[in-house]
This record gives sequence, C-alpha cells and structure tokens, in this order.
Amino acid sequence: MNLNIVSAITRKDLVDAIRHRYLLTALVTPLFVALLFRVLLPGGNNTRLLTIVVHDAGGSRLVAELRKTPQIGVVEVLSADATAGEVEKRKAIGGLVVPSGFDTDLAANKQPELTVYVNNEKTIFEQAAFRRLLEQIVRSFAKQPEPARLNWVDVDKGANDRNRGGTGLDQIMLPLLLILTFGMIGAFVVPLLIVEEKEKRTLDFLLSSPASLNEIIAGKALTGVVYTLLIAGLLLGINRQHIQNWPLTLLTIVLGLLFVVGVGLVIGSLLNNTMQVNTWASLVLIVLLAPSFPSIGITAWFDKAMRVIPTYYLSEALKLSMGGAVSSQFWMYLAVLLGCTFVVFFAAAWALHRR
Amino acid sequence: MPAIEVENLSRTFNSLRAVDNISFSVDAGEIFGFLGHNGAGKTTTIRMLSGQLRPTSGRGCVAGCDIVTEQQRLRPLIGVVSEHQNLYERMSGRENLEFAARLYGKDTQRIEAALKQVDLLDRAGDKVQNYSNGMKQRLLIARSILHGPQIVFLDEPTRGLDPIVGREIRRLITDMSKRGVTIFLTTHYMEEADQLCDRVAFLSEGRIVALDTPDKLKSAHGQQQVNVTLDNGERRNIALDGEDAGRELQQLVSSGQVRTLHSAEATLEEVFIQLAGRRLSE
Repeated sequence: MNLNIVSAITRKDLVDAIRHRYLLTALVTPLFVALLFRVLLPGGNNTRLLTIVVHDAGGSRLVAELRKTPQIGVVEVLSADATAGEVEKRKAIGGLVVPSGFDTDLAANKQPELTVYVNNEKTIFEQAAFRRLLEQIVRSFAKQPEPARLNWVDVDKGANDRNRGGTGLDQIMLPLLLILTFGMIGAFVVPLLIVEEKEKRTLDFLLSSPASLNEIIAGKALTGVVYTLLIAGLLLGINRQHIQNWPLTLLTIVLGLLFVVGVGLVIGSLLNNTMQVNTWASLVLIVLLAPSFPSIGITAWFDKAMRVIPTYYLSEALKLSMGGAVSSQFWMYLAVLLGCTFVVFFAAAWALHRR
Repeated sequence: MPAIEVENLSRTFNSLRAVDNISFSVDAGEIFGFLGHNGAGKTTTIRMLSGQLRPTSGRGCVAGCDIVTEQQRLRPLIGVVSEHQNLYERMSGRENLEFAARLYGKDTQRIEAALKQVDLLDRAGDKVQNYSNGMKQRLLIARSILHGPQIVFLDEPTRGLDPIVGREIRRLITDMSKRGVTIFLTTHYMEEADQLCDRVAFLSEGRIVALDTPDKLKSAHGQQQVNVTLDNGERRNIALDGEDAGRELQQLVSSGQVRTLHSAEATLEEVFIQLAGRRLSE
C-alpha cells in the first residue's frame, strides 16, 4: 500500500468534506448538540458520586459490593422505614432496603425482593443512570440473569415534572454525544465520501490512476478516523472533568471509531448515490444511537433488545471507562465490540471486492 | 513495439457481449480513432485498456504492460479523459491538478505549465462548478497529461461542446500527438475523426468491422469518379479508372469551361453506414 496515495486521498477528502453541505452538517451536529445542552441545561452535575442510602438487615455482601463501586457512596440507616426520608434529607440518588437472608435466598434461586427508592428530585438522566447501575451490580453480584425482584419506589413522583435541574454533559450525555459523533461518521460521512466518488464518476479517474481500490478505501477510512478523533477530542476536551480513566476511555473511543468506520465502508460500498445514503443513513443512525439513550427505567426488555446492537457495548464501555469503574464487565464489552469491528471490516472487504 | 496491442479481446456483462473478440494494434505517436454508435463497446474497450475493467477473454498490452497482470505499472504510463466530466466540482481547477499530481507522485510545479497549455491559468483558482463545459474539458485534458503519459485515452472529448471549443480541443489533441503522445480517441463526429486520426476502426455490436486510414476507407467504399459541372450547366461524371480519364479531364480544364470539379469519394459516415448498417448517432 502506497501511503502517499492514501494520504493524498485523505487530504483531498478532509478539505472537500467541509465544503459539502451534508457532510459539514453531519460533522458539526454533535458539537452543536453539545452546545445546545450547555445552553439549555446549564449548571450540571459535576459530582460523579451517587449517594445511596442503605438499610441492610442481614449484613448482605451486596452492600459490600456497592461500597467497592467507585461511583457509589453508601450511607447506612438503621430502619427500613427511615430509608425514604433519609434519601430526601441527604439528597441522595436513591435508597435500598436489603432484607435479612437476602444472600441465602439468592443462593437458593428464590428471587428475593429488593426495595429500591428513587429520588425524583434528581434529573431523569441521573435516575436512569442509578437504575441501570444498580441492575448491573445486582446481576453481576448474583451472577444470574434475573437474580432478584427489584421493587422500584418513587420517593416523590411529582418531582419529575417539576424537575428542571441541569444535567450538563455528565456521564450520560457525553457517551450519547460521542456515539452521535460515531453514528454521523459511520452512517453519513464515510458512506457519502465513497458514494459521491461513484455518483460523480470520479472513482473512474481514481481507478485509472496509480491508486488501487485498497488505497482508495484506506484513504476514505482515514478521513473518517481523523474527523472522528477531531470531534471526539473536542467533546472530551470540553468535558474533561467527567473523564476518570483517560487511557481506557481513549481505547474505547478508538475501538468505537474503527467499528463505525467499518459500518461506513459497508454502507458506502452497497449504496450508489447520495439519495440512497440520505434514506438509509437516518435509519442506521437511529439504530446505532438507540442503545446510548438512557432507558429511563423503561424496562429490562428494552435493555435486552439493545444488546443485539454493537453500540450498546460501546456505550456501556464508555460509561464505565469515563466513570472509572473498570471491571471484568468493561473488558467483556470491549471484547464484544472488537469482535463486531472484525465482522464489519470483513463485510466491508467482501462488499467492496464484490463490486 | 506497438503502443497498444490487442488480441481477441472480449468483455461480457451477464449475457451481453459488449466487446466481441477484437484485435488491433496502435503505433507509438499515432492518433487512432475508435468509432461506433452508442453501446458499440467503445467505452468498455477504453476501460479494459486503461485497467479499470477486466476482460472476459483475450489479451491486451498497453505501453508494454499487460492490462490484467501489470495494472500498477501501466497506470502511470497512461492518461484517461472520461466521457463524463469527472472532476471534483467543489475544488478549484488548480486543486484538482494538485490532487492528481500527488496521486501520480509528481511535482506540483508541472501544474502551472499544464494550466497554461490548456489556457486555464487565469481561472485556475475558481471552483470547477463555475466552469463552462469547454473549460472542464480542457481541465480534464490537462489532468490527463499532467504526469507525462505515453498514451492518452480520450472518450468522446468534444461531445456536447460548441464548434469553437471543439476546435480548441482538437488543437490540444494535435499538440499532444506532436509531442509524441499516442492518442486513442473515441468520437461520434466523423469530420473530427477524418481530420485528426491517422487510422480509424469502426466498431459495431462489439466487433471491428473496418480498420484503415480514413482516406483508404473512403476511397475503398466510395465511387472512383470526378463530377464536373461546366459553365453551360452540363454535368459530366468521369470514371477515374477509365483509360481516357486523364486526357478527358485535361481537355475540360484547358477549355476553360469548368465551373466546379468534385471528387465523388464517400464520407466516413457513409462508409460507416455501409459497413455497420446504421448511423453513428443511432
């Protein structure tokens, strides 16, 4: 592979893309949304610690597990009845009542009940983060898919409507914006870079020049990588206070951008004109973005459905790496993402050489 | 060694045989015309010879390179002007040439000379989307010769251009040929082929139906006679292969009665219709 040719194509595309109305829109949308959130939802939650009030009647190991989780601060209360009141008083994100014999019942697969209080004074994003985090911890602790019945109790349901508190670009919004960036690159930018060469017949010129098909595709992919890194870098730079583990966050971003560039190559090789890209890319974008939206407690089935979409693993890995909560689960997410990246690159190679 | 040598070249798309077993050769420095109606297989032939499309069968050798196995060696030795104006429209003329120079690994200093050659130096900084068709065509020619190719393939270079711009393009083609570049030209315009080409091949339904110099084709398929109109309105047709043709012509001219005198050779278009059974524009 001739790197001079690859860099010539990338250089041309980098300059040409910002003169292209659609491409420019796709590139600046994530930054625009980030700014919009900053303006509309000022303030923001700068503390990453979720305080949880816990009543632990039987000395469960689950509480010990909660204490080990970096995002969570545990405050214990002596009675179950005092839990909800203490949640409000301490402005905690939620409360948890662990019955005695919880660990034993869990071991016996009896699906014991956990009462979980949710503080509705907090933003819906924080509430969603709390719900998701707790579900993950319980599942991970019990090593069962449905270990316990979680009985969710709203401390003040009406507060959700009153709540105007800002979230800023916290640990929910930042992964969402990053995946929006990835989605725009994968669904619009890379496919349009390829499709336009076909549509305007400039691909004929490239293919009669010393550039091979592999060099042309590498040039397009590199353009996608550069733009993703640029926009993701800006988003991370603006919100650097939310990143707890930079190396792993960057690793996740690199893996994520390789995945979406692969998706872009597949789409670009299958479609033939800009209109087709505009039609299909929106659908692809919605699918890629869906797992990164906070489920807002929709239900477990939503979570399960999202697991078939590779960006679910990207989104979860981003949340964990940015929150500094690196566990075996994080590496599992990265492994799944890596596998998906290999699959899309094989699919792209097949689709391109089939032509 | 010929600049282009083709033996039994064929290309099939599903059940359609676009190019059917063609053979020919083009000498270095020659302007070779490849004439045929729409869908005759001209562009498919250019795409195969320029390494963009694999032949289904047969072999081709361009600038000493096999068109299938030596594509990477071949590409820097050829230039292609596509029938479509495939330029980067949001980029300026100069940026288009800079990109081409980088692809070919050539010095960007050549760009000014190429722009001057096609008379685009003044508008080189303008976006291509603001160029006229003629300017785009000149830029395409500049791009095709920027890297100093041995052979240039021109696919319908004057299609859709007004006569004055067409004449300018023909001048550029002649200039290229004078500098020793071999030209492989497809065109619909018979006068253009007649004027420019050293030899022409007629392509019909993917097959070469005739190949020779324009003069030989015209004389071989036209009438060997001269039509003379006298001052008194009388018309005489003098067969040139007749024994007394020379004497008769001389007498008429000496008598001072000749108003007009025309050879009755066929035009290239008439030869094509005769051989291919249809007009080029069909």
